Amino acid sequence: MPCYSEQVKATIQADNRRENGLWFELTTDQKALLGPLKDFLKTEVAPGAIERDKTGVFPHEIVRQLGAMGVLGMQVPEQYGGAALDTVTMALITEEIAAVDGSLCLTVASHNSLCTGHILVAGNAEQKAKFLPDLASGTKLGAWGLTEPGSGSDAAALKSKAVDKGDHFVLSGSKAFITQGTVAGTYVLLARSDQAAAGRSSADGISAFVVSADPKIIPGKPESKLGLHSSDTAALNFENLAVPSENLLGKRGRAFSDVMTVLSGGRIGIGAMGIGLGRSALEIAAKYALEREQFGEPIANKQAISFKIAEMATELEAARLLVLKAATLKDAGKDYTLAASQAKLKGSVEGVKACDYAIQILGGYGYVQDYEVERMWRDARLTRIGEGTDEVQHLIIAREYLKQFRH
Amino acid sequence: MKIICIIKQVPDAEARIRSTAAGIDLEGVTFVIDGMDEYGVEQALRIRESGVEAEIIAVALGPKRYEEAIRTALAMGADRAIHLETEEAFDPITQAKLLAKVVGEEAADLLLVGGKEADWDSAALGAATAEALGWPHSDWTTELELTANSAKVTHDADEGSEVLTLPLPAVITTQQGLNEPRYPTLPNIMKAKRKELKKLSLDDVGGAVSKIVILKQEIQTRERLNKIIEGDPMEAAQQLVKLLQQDKVI
Repeated sequence: MPCYSEQVKATIQADNRRENGLWFELTTDQKALLGPLKDFLKTEVAPGAIERDKTGVFPHEIVRQLGAMGVLGMQVPEQYGGAALDTVTMALITEEIAAVDGSLCLTVASHNSLCTGHILVAGNAEQKAKFLPDLASGTKLGAWGLTEPGSGSDAAALKSKAVDKGDHFVLSGSKAFITQGTVAGTYVLLARSDQAAAGRSSADGISAFVVSADPKIIPGKPESKLGLHSSDTAALNFENLAVPSENLLGKRGRAFSDVMTVLSGGRIGIGAMGIGLGRSALEIAAKYALEREQFGEPIANKQAISFKIAEMATELEAARLLVLKAATLKDAGKDYTLAASQAKLKGSVEGVKACDYAIQILGGYGYVQDYEVERMWRDARLTRIGEGTDEVQHLIIAREYLKQFRH
Repeated sequence: MKIICIIKQVPDAEARIRSTAAGIDLEGVTFVIDGMDEYGVEQALRIRESGVEAEIIAVALGPKRYEEAIRTALAMGADRAIHLETEEAFDPITQAKLLAKVVGEEAADLLLVGGKEADWDSAALGAATAEALGWPHSDWTTELELTANSAKVTHDADEGSEVLTLPLPAVITTQQGLNEPRYPTLPNIMKAKRKELKKLSLDDVGGAVSKIVILKQEIQTRERLNKIIEGDPMEAAQQLVKLLQQDKVI
């Protein structure tokens, strides 16, 4: 599914894949895109990050500005008002946002890769024309309803129902931990429309529907979370929600494979998010270690501290390379399932670890809110859970890796 | 009308710049469009958005890397760009003569220039270009309003401000407060690549020799005295005042 323009593709080919293998410098496009964005993040986003973590208020104005800048339609084709960026660039942008504000990063990443991502993967021309422009401009935020109170890692066990009434479906069910649950204007909801066909897995019979905000979609109270306080998370309840049949996204009963594709794409972003948070914590710890003096010298001179910094820098870089590899495979139209899971696993685990080390390096200062690393740790912790837990990534990686040796 | 914005690319204000025996080392430094020039581009866009039919052209004189700054101006909304490309460094007066040729050729109605160039820390470029063109000039401009064939401006004077009118064509140099430049959008940054970027060489404008030759460059270093005044707060404060007066800080 090439969702970027031929011109962008040509640039990726020319810039990103140099003849002699991988190229590790930013392309001119990436530099041009990241410059103003980093400027915006530093000026408009960073100053309020501590405060938003304390209040948990959703930053509507910042999100509106990001929408105006095209950050909410990063991979949407230009014809629908998107920026038509490649996945490598999206991953780089995601890392930058996470480095400044984890909550905002989750808002952007989930909006782009889940709700919008599902429409890009499975939507027909009419659905794309109807729903993508508002999502790309940020006029409407997107939420994606897969997880339910009783189904997380075993996503196919969802209980929401879609009953076919001829020209429409009637949806009933509950969703849990839905990002943008209370602020979304567009929802993609997964529900069982059919029983699994004989000989097929329980994933068969699940359908996806794209729905505009509706009084019958009732969000619960925003969840009180460990971190990501200014990202909106809520349960959703819907009873007898009538959805026109033309809002069926993808093939009836076959949405689960689209869900897997959407999640694989999303995982690249969550890996990048972990890395962004970890990198920011590392930078704070490094500066602190050079300034903080104990026993008559900067603590950075102590091996106990400098080796931690060395490990953080190395593991984050390794994770970043996995993220960029998965993104490159996706852009090239190759299978990136294994790479995306590896990137997500490594990016989130190393992100959390870097934040944890940063707290340790800062000691008591790391445990108080002003130095931000404790927030980064709380924010990063979600990346090991959302869009497939560490354990689910292990399942996928083992399955994909072992494939080659099975007879 | 035709509006030309002069663009420079300068090191990011937060970039760490090193000084070596060979001069200033710019390796690895992030470059950005000069913030004062950004006010000019933004103002041109606002003129057009107010309903005036205007073509906006970004013009730059500098090395190849200036393309990045030019792209920023195009991404903000300039229609096309002209890059007078040279790796040579010129003093502002020579730069002004070269740029004036491009501006004159384009027969622009309004020329917007950054009030101060962050690289040379010079405010000469706009004024010198006005001189070379023989156009009126308003410096340190904080407000700009156009009528059919004149510009009404407010500009900073030493301890206040003045309101002036200038017949067009005119040169306006910017001051902080003129506007709040927009952030270019991601789609526009991508689309900027497709806009016309005309390259000119020095020969195309008759060539030039810099009037000034740089012999040596050094970076200002700030050294802290690390002096801590101890003892009774009242006495310490008096001693601080004395020290500050001694060093003519106050």
